[in-house]
Amino acid sequence: MILEIKGLDKFFPQTDHDKIEVLKNLNLQVEEGETVAVVGQSGSGKSTLLSLLAGLDRQSSGSLRLRGQEISAMSEVKLTQFRAENIGIIFQQFYLMPHLTALENVSLPLEMFGHKDSLQRAREALLQVGLEEREKHFPHQLSGGESQRVAIARAIVIRPAILLADEPTGNLDNATGVQVSNLLFDLVQTTGMTLLLVTHNTELALRCSRQLTLQSGTFQ
Amino acid sequence: MKNPPAFFWLKLAFRELLNNRRFSLFFLFNLALGLAGFIALDSFKESLDNHLGQNSKAILGADIALTSYLPFEEKTLDALEARFPQNTLSTRKTSLFTMVATEDQTRLVQITGIEKEFPFYGKMVLKNNGVVESKNVEQSLALSGEAWVYPELLFMLGLKLGGSLKIGEKKFRIADTVLDDPSSSFSSFGLAPRVYLAYSQMQETALLSKKSRISYQRLYRLPDGTDLSGLVVKLQNKINSFEGSDSKIRILTHKRAGNNLGRLLGYLNDYLGLVAMIAVFLAGIGAAYLFRNYLVHRFREISILMSLGATRQQTYRMVLWQLGLLGTGAALIAIIISLAILPLLPLLLKQFLPNGFETQLSLGSLLFALVLGGVGSLVFCLPVLSRIRTVQPLQLFHKNIGQQDATPVLWRQALSYLPLLILSWSLSVWQSHSLIVGSAFVGMLLASILFLGSIAWLVLFLAGKLSQTSGSTMKRLAFRNLQRNRTGAISCFLALALGTLLINLIPQIYQGLQEEVSRPDDFRIPSLFLFDIQPEQMEPLQKTLSAEKVNLNYLSPIVRARLEKVNGNKFDANSKEVSLTREQERQQNFRRHNLNLSYRTQLSDSEQIVEGRPMTTNFDLDSGKPAEISLEVRYAERMGFKLGDLLTFNVQEVLVEAIVINLRRVQWNSFQPNFFILFQPGVLEDAPGTFVGSIGGLVASRRMNVQNLIVSDYPNVSVIDVTRMVGRVLKISDQMVLALRMMAYLSILAGLVVVFSIARHEVEGRLWELNLLKVLGARFSDIQKMIQIEFAVLGIFAGLFGVAVSLIMSYGISWWFFENLWKWTWQTSLGSIIGVTSLSVGVAWLATQRTLRSSPLNLLRS
Ligand SMILES: Nc1ncnc2c1ncn2[C@@H]1O[C@H](COP(=O)(O)OP(=O)(O)OP(=O)(O)O)[C@@H](O)[C@H]1O
Ligand SMILES: [Mg+2]
Repeated sequence: MILEIKGLDKFFPQTDHDKIEVLKNLNLQVEEGETVAVVGQSGSGKSTLLSLLAGLDRQSSGSLRLRGQEISAMSEVKLTQFRAENIGIIFQQFYLMPHLTALENVSLPLEMFGHKDSLQRAREALLQVGLEEREKHFPHQLSGGESQRVAIARAIVIRPAILLADEPTGNLDNATGVQVSNLLFDLVQTTGMTLLLVTHNTELALRCSRQLTLQSGTFQ
Repeated sequence: MKNPPAFFWLKLAFRELLNNRRFSLFFLFNLALGLAGFIALDSFKESLDNHLGQNSKAILGADIALTSYLPFEEKTLDALEARFPQNTLSTRKTSLFTMVATEDQTRLVQITGIEKEFPFYGKMVLKNNGVVESKNVEQSLALSGEAWVYPELLFMLGLKLGGSLKIGEKKFRIADTVLDDPSSSFSSFGLAPRVYLAYSQMQETALLSKKSRISYQRLYRLPDGTDLSGLVVKLQNKINSFEGSDSKIRILTHKRAGNNLGRLLGYLNDYLGLVAMIAVFLAGIGAAYLFRNYLVHRFREISILMSLGATRQQTYRMVLWQLGLLGTGAALIAIIISLAILPLLPLLLKQFLPNGFETQLSLGSLLFALVLGGVGSLVFCLPVLSRIRTVQPLQLFHKNIGQQDATPVLWRQALSYLPLLILSWSLSVWQSHSLIVGSAFVGMLLASILFLGSIAWLVLFLAGKLSQTSGSTMKRLAFRNLQRNRTGAISCFLALALGTLLINLIPQIYQGLQEEVSRPDDFRIPSLFLFDIQPEQMEPLQKTLSAEKVNLNYLSPIVRARLEKVNGNKFDANSKEVSLTREQERQQNFRRHNLNLSYRTQLSDSEQIVEGRPMTTNFDLDSGKPAEISLEVRYAERMGFKLGDLLTFNVQEVLVEAIVINLRRVQWNSFQPNFFILFQPGVLEDAPGTFVGSIGGLVASRRMNVQNLIVSDYPNVSVIDVTRMVGRVLKISDQMVLALRMMAYLSILAGLVVVFSIARHEVEGRLWELNLLKVLGARFSDIQKMIQIEFAVLGIFAGLFGVAVSLIMSYGISWWFFENLWKWTWQTSLGSIIGVTSLSVGVAWLATQRTLRSSPLNLLRS
């Protein structure tokens, strides 16, 4: 089991007495290699869940285990390191570094930790997303779909145990969205990565092995 | 997990800077300008300092001197000299005033005995033998019982070179005349002409045994790098422990030997230091402001890096690299600029700089600039930098990155300003050479910032209120923008207001100094000064002179007196304070008994009452009230006399009580007989006295004629030719005015550059929003109007309050540094307000113009 969530709560304090409860007593178990889609209305807490999984935010209570390790128990430094090694994140807005080329963007997470073969591996990742020709291009010279493919390459280059994607096709047109999601699922399949995908797109959700609906803070 | 390669973050930092070229260039330019200004000013100041040091050393002829009215006791001197560093050179000097006589004439002269090594500094120039070799001064004088005299003495006594002069019991041959004597400073021009003798021959004049007041001096040349003020404290402590007359030994340092001119050049020095400080502050504010904008835009990238596994520390490190790169880069550019420009300065200013003035780029100030560039930019940006703490990569899952302002922890925020405070404080203490003055300056700056901050808050609060009331949409939108984007608006306001403050400060201070330094209006340059005119000679002398079509100006009576009591207490002339600060140093020097009094009611053009009322025209003996006197304000300050103080004078053994009615300022370079103490008429008329006066506007040949005429008809009247000295002083004062003015203009220019870059960046930050408005279909003119209202509000208020605070602060600074020389000129103030407002509106207009013309594609792209 790669991911195990038990009794997860997340609320945002509003005033001294009031708080917004976004996730309530959430439970989830994901096996290695599974692809899970999380759907739900806007504001239901999908992104909040992802940010907890990514270790970018901390839960209010409950347990969250990734690869058998309790995330909430880790120090900030430990967590950062854990994230750098195990978690790949894909955002709706791509978030490439504007002043780095496609290749540099992809190699960034490796280079940050001094991997010797970072460029080599980045090229491979670019090849996997079919953008080996564009390695010298800057983000502003890439289309939305291409940018997202670079972002995917950047996420998988570290060979993460789990890939978190928040609306990866949300900023793309239909055709491009399909292309990108094809690519994503191909990659997941060939590498055996675990994927947790947040989307509004039912078609995309149905391509996953499991679909979960987030509503009123829990999975229905 | 491995560590990244050593230069990974440096590389990344560099890439980011390259990518944000506009920011980087502006930052570099801004900081380099400030630092170059600093280097140039500091080097110039140091050169000036050196030059002044040389000058004041030349006036004393040494670094430090001990003086006493009794011969030094061996044992006393040994005890004191033990405190000097090794390799200190010393020479003896004795001087006294005495009458010298020829067959038919007698004159008061100052006899000065010197020995080898005199002077340690400066060059004495003789008419026949040129520059005096200090090595064998004494031998040349002593060999044949020779004397060197001031040329005017020859006139007065009708002597010639090679003639003989009886001084005391001995006859001396007049071997040469003294053309240039650095130790005859401006301040001593009222004294009798000098005669130099060999020290060893002073005894033979038999004058030393008499009761006459003799000044015994030991002059010392200290090894380079000696801590002068430390030495003074040590010596003074020792002297304080002595008994009797030994405890009255006085210490003279070359710094205190200075005179009015030294004081003014000291002003110039302080002023330059202030301008240098302000250049650094302006640059710092500009840099911090630019950096703040830059950093806010980097928040997203920082978030991305963190989501990819970078720690917060690492992102800090990257930003620190950037600051370090920029700061050092700016310093290097500044150094290159100053290396290129400074050698040109003396060429450009050749006409205006004193003779022998050398501008050197001091290695010290270069190194300092380098450190200041790196450390300073870090320190200035630290408060902004601490905002990285608020970056939450979690926002990547939401849209508006960097918009949200996590409430900063107050103490942490305050702490991040601490290094800045410490840096500013040490910088200003260092520049002003005074703990008090430096602290006061920083204190005032801090208070101004707090005050301006609260004003900003208030203005924005009002803007918020205004946005709710009716008005055009754009007007309301403008006010709402100001209020909503509060931190941005406050920092923009603060930066603009501080910019205005600093811009205005220098010209404002300049106004006061300029008044003091420049030539007095309507003033007759004196050529000859006449002393010792007897009352009965007045009428015939004036007749003689008017026959020559020459006027005797500024005729003033002089009555010698001693100050006995102050407010009924015996006046203590020899205070034992150990000098610590400049302020105290000045005081010490002046506690003396013997005074020259004068009387008149009318103030001259160069005098001005600064406190109190004019004296009444006539003293009423029967009223039983004390006589009214007016004190020169600086003299009163030094002596600690106030309005209403009762002073008791001994005027030729008659006690006269007088009350201080007013304090007056005398323009130093008016070249009129000036007196510290002026009586009202009707008190001193009967006391025996003499008159002084001046004659102006004579060409060289006429000067000679008139001098001869006076000397032959009125042998007791001393005539001194002051043309050369006056010319020199005027030239220097003109140079100073020029230097002051140039600096004022330069600081305005530098300030405007900063204001410009602030305004430009503020608009730039708004472009996205403007684009959006445009896309939404707002009319160009409306958008323009909105932006202009915003920037006009910011500009006007920032200008207004910046100027207001600068007035207060300049007043404070003038009070601290420049003895209260302060003058308000509304033109400067108004100019600043209009300048800053129109600059910010103008810049906003230009920038929006460009955006509105460009396609909204940029918006969709970003
Ligand atoms: N920092 C925060 N402070 C307060 N409330 C928050 C915060 N972050 C999220 N929320 C609230 O939590 C709820 C869930 O937000 P979240 O972004 O997870 O929704 P979502 O399911 O991703 O929506 P969408 O599909 O529109 O992206 C929302 O009601 C949101 O207002
Ligand atoms: Mg979401």
